[in-house]
Amino acid sequence: MKKIEAIIKPFKLDDVKEALNEIGIQGMTITEVKGYGRQKGHKEIYRGAEYIVDFIPKIKIEIIVESEMIDRVLETIRKASKTGKLGDGKIFVTPVEEVIRVRTGEKGKDAI
Amino acid sequence: MAPPDMKTIINTLKETRQLLISNFLNYTAVNFMKHHADVLDEYFCAGFHLNQSRCKTLSAFPYAIVALGGYGRKEQCIHSDVDLLFLFKRSIPDKAVQLIRDMLYPLWDMGLDVGHATRTLNECLSLAGQDIEVLTSLLDARLVCGSRQWYDQLMMQLRKKVITPGSDRIIQSLVQRNEDRHQHFGDSSYLLEPNLKDGQGGLRDYHTILWIAKIKSGLKQPEDLETMGFMSHDEYHCLTEALSFIWHVRNILHALSGRVCNQLYFEFQIKISQTLDIKEKDGHMPVEIFLGTLHEKMDWLKHEFLLFLNEQGYRPIGRLPMDSIGRTADSDLRLIKNTLHFASPLKILHRPDLLLKIFEESARLNIPLSAEAIRMVREFSHLADDTIVNCPSAVESFNHILLSPVRHFNVLSEMMTTGLLVQIIPEMGAIVNRIQYDEYHLYPVDKHTLRTVKAVKQFTLAPEKPENEFQEQVYKELSKPLLLLWAALLHDIGKGVAGEDHSDAGAKLVRTILAKKKFSPSDIDTVAFLVREHLTLITTATRRDINDEETAINCASKIRDIERLKMLYLLTVADSMSTGPKAWNDWTGSLLRNFSLKVLNVLEKGELASSEAVEIVREKKGRVLNSITEPEDRKKAESLLNFMAPRYLLYANANDIVTHIQLYSRLEHADFVWDISRSEETNTRTVTICARDFPGLFSKIAGVFTLNQLDILDVQVYTWRNNIALDIFKVKPPPDLIFENERWERAEEHLQSVLSGKLNLSTALQEKLADYGRYIPYTSKRKHKIVVDNEGSSFFTIIEVFTYDFPGLLYRITDALFRCGLDVWVAKIATKVDQVVDVFYVRDFDGQKIDAPDQVEVIKIEIAKVLPETGSL
Repeated sequence: MKKIEAIIKPFKLDDVKEALNEIGIQGMTITEVKGYGRQKGHKEIYRGAEYIVDFIPKIKIEIIVESEMIDRVLETIRKASKTGKLGDGKIFVTPVEEVIRVRTGEKGKDAI
Repeated sequence: MAPPDMKTIINTLKETRQLLISNFLNYTAVNFMKHHADVLDEYFCAGFHLNQSRCKTLSAFPYAIVALGGYGRKEQCIHSDVDLLFLFKRSIPDKAVQLIRDMLYPLWDMGLDVGHATRTLNECLSLAGQDIEVLTSLLDARLVCGSRQWYDQLMMQLRKKVITPGSDRIIQSLVQRNEDRHQHFGDSSYLLEPNLKDGQGGLRDYHTILWIAKIKSGLKQPEDLETMGFMSHDEYHCLTEALSFIWHVRNILHALSGRVCNQLYFEFQIKISQTLDIKEKDGHMPVEIFLGTLHEKMDWLKHEFLLFLNEQGYRPIGRLPMDSIGRTADSDLRLIKNTLHFASPLKILHRPDLLLKIFEESARLNIPLSAEAIRMVREFSHLADDTIVNCPSAVESFNHILLSPVRHFNVLSEMMTTGLLVQIIPEMGAIVNRIQYDEYHLYPVDKHTLRTVKAVKQFTLAPEKPENEFQEQVYKELSKPLLLLWAALLHDIGKGVAGEDHSDAGAKLVRTILAKKKFSPSDIDTVAFLVREHLTLITTATRRDINDEETAINCASKIRDIERLKMLYLLTVADSMSTGPKAWNDWTGSLLRNFSLKVLNVLEKGELASSEAVEIVREKKGRVLNSITEPEDRKKAESLLNFMAPRYLLYANANDIVTHIQLYSRLEHADFVWDISRSEETNTRTVTICARDFPGLFSKIAGVFTLNQLDILDVQVYTWRNNIALDIFKVKPPPDLIFENERWERAEEHLQSVLSGKLNLSTALQEKLADYGRYIPYTSKRKHKIVVDNEGSSFFTIIEVFTYDFPGLLYRITDALFRCGLDVWVAKIATKVDQVVDVFYVRDFDGQKIDAPDQVEVIKIEIAKVLPETGSL
């Protein structure tokens, strides 16, 4: 099993959610996050006063999938979150040791 | 006959209680609670007698079983806890403690939550003096069985030693505790998941009324509230109705949740509305009607409580008006003991405008109405009819109220509770207690509306957080804040209209409402605009790419006016803040502010979103489409036009756009296509290139021209949003005109090889540029200048290079930009004799501006390196 964490632009959330639903992924965790990459934030200037925008609002999607699904899911997220422009975010994949459904105690594949 | 044993007693309790609870819906709430308390009483009596008979020594220590708290008041809901006191005179024998436990353990086993204390009379008194919680539970004490003598003594001494000497202090601290409790549990008169007991408008408010009346006048039973004159007959009637509804709901909630649950959680709300058998009405769901009713009852209780405190001369500590030295400006109003009064009820009949005037004075002087004045406004608000409320002086009074800051209390909410606000704006009647059943809208529409107005007013107060400074500043710049306040008051008024988008419906209502109040047409336009568009900024900021210039330009061309944008921004902030935490947090806040600043920047520059620009672009699009006859092609062109950047649409002429669309249609799967046109009079060539965009494309094209000795005079670079670059180069023709075509073919081949990676441009150019080097005229003494501007655009860093011309200049600069990790989105190159001004709109490869000072410095250094003075030519 793998955990996929994708950082995407906020307005792409609906597209990504829809695309994932289409390939049968229904459960995901969505968090409103802020962060920055290479760029250390930027300034907005209003009437001479500077408003530092340290962090840029983004959406983080977390999904746990079986390993054999991984390529399909990654491709789907990539396609759906792409705007054709640069700065479309990043996707991280990490291994997951175990998943347990609290209610039933089911483990592994069944618990996803 | 021997008394029944413990087992029998407990079984009787179990059975009767079970039967009672399973039938609770057949009783009124009050009766059920009373029966429930009686069943428990019987158990304790039987237990008491059994103990007496089992243990002879105990009769030497007579004691009383006393019911406390809710059990004492006989308000025993299904899972309410059972509060007990075992009262002894002086000492408590060990044996007694054991026997009492025998009586209580079976109750715990049944799942009843029993709280008990075994105390002597003196212990009770000293604890009651120290702990207000003990005191309040004793205020509700009721003898269940045992020694009446000790019970009477306790009650008497409690009054003599604790209550009478400290009554004022006790009441003050009750009021304070209530205040704290409301802070913690929130206002149940509008919360989505109200707390029936502890929230504002909850049962505890009623208990507090009882306690205060008991302390002050020794009230014995709730009916005394009326007979002792604490409430009018009507008020007491409303009180019993409100209470029995809340108790009934509480019982159902206990039954459904199977535990002591006072918070009306979402999961139970629909089930409760079903149990109450409420039917759908006017398109409102049963659960919405149920919550509306509950809020109405709790709202009533909340206000009755405040009125009661007010009349008893207690106001929550810390809220006493500080700056209330002043006089009423109206001779028919009186200022007595820091509250406003009507001079006489008769005056209202002669001058109904006083109903509004008193609130204007209340806002101006920052002094609340007296309880009696509030009662009168409630009674007489119907006198304020259309002619009264729409006359100029009344409108002016209301405007004053809207503009006055909210300090200790909210005048508008007072006007809402008394019904006067609905008299002034009858259209608001449809949104009072209008529930939207979801997790997003925390408040009924009317409460949300008043919160929004309050949030706008608070922009003027000293900001709590640094990010609010921005809102404060924007607010201060408004020339007519009154219009924003009207928009805040009316922004959701369309929610009372069924079956229409609430923003559009609201804008229409605004026109009627404000026309009746004789607002000027342009002011009406502004408020109607704000109401119609009140969701535009937030939906665009959260659902569109705010880093796309196009998004800001579209929004700007819809708003068109800077003042309107500012008001819309503040309205959006206030509206979102008042909706609930799901609608407003730092994350949304920064998204909204970033976007609004970008739109502001577009409007201030005016270039792309001015009404002229919008008109020109619209007209140009029309001409382009009209010139295409084939329907299929026209459809393609139409979708392509949507990808074109506003800057391009504004500056390219319609014929050229058509040519460019044709050029694009030839691109298909190629890396690029170009078109060369010759202008004989000026002896120049225009090369239009359409290519798939990628960082560095521009410098590669420029490099290929340099490689082929084609001098670049002028360039315009545009990027379409479908990732297509359209670059228009004006170049000098090659020196040898006879073989010009061959020269172009070779250049095309070069570009092809460069793009496919077969030709290394920088190696190929090195030799060429070294050749050029010898011809460079070092005559110019003008220093060149590099300006990096981050303020001109919210989307791009603008780099301007002032220098003098030399072969390969453009390639060198754009190559330097590429090496700095910059992507050129727009470029304007102008050459006059040997003076060159190159302007580049750039972003880094992640689509960000470059505004860190060290990065700006690096860019300047890198560009300076390739310019001739310091260059290694």
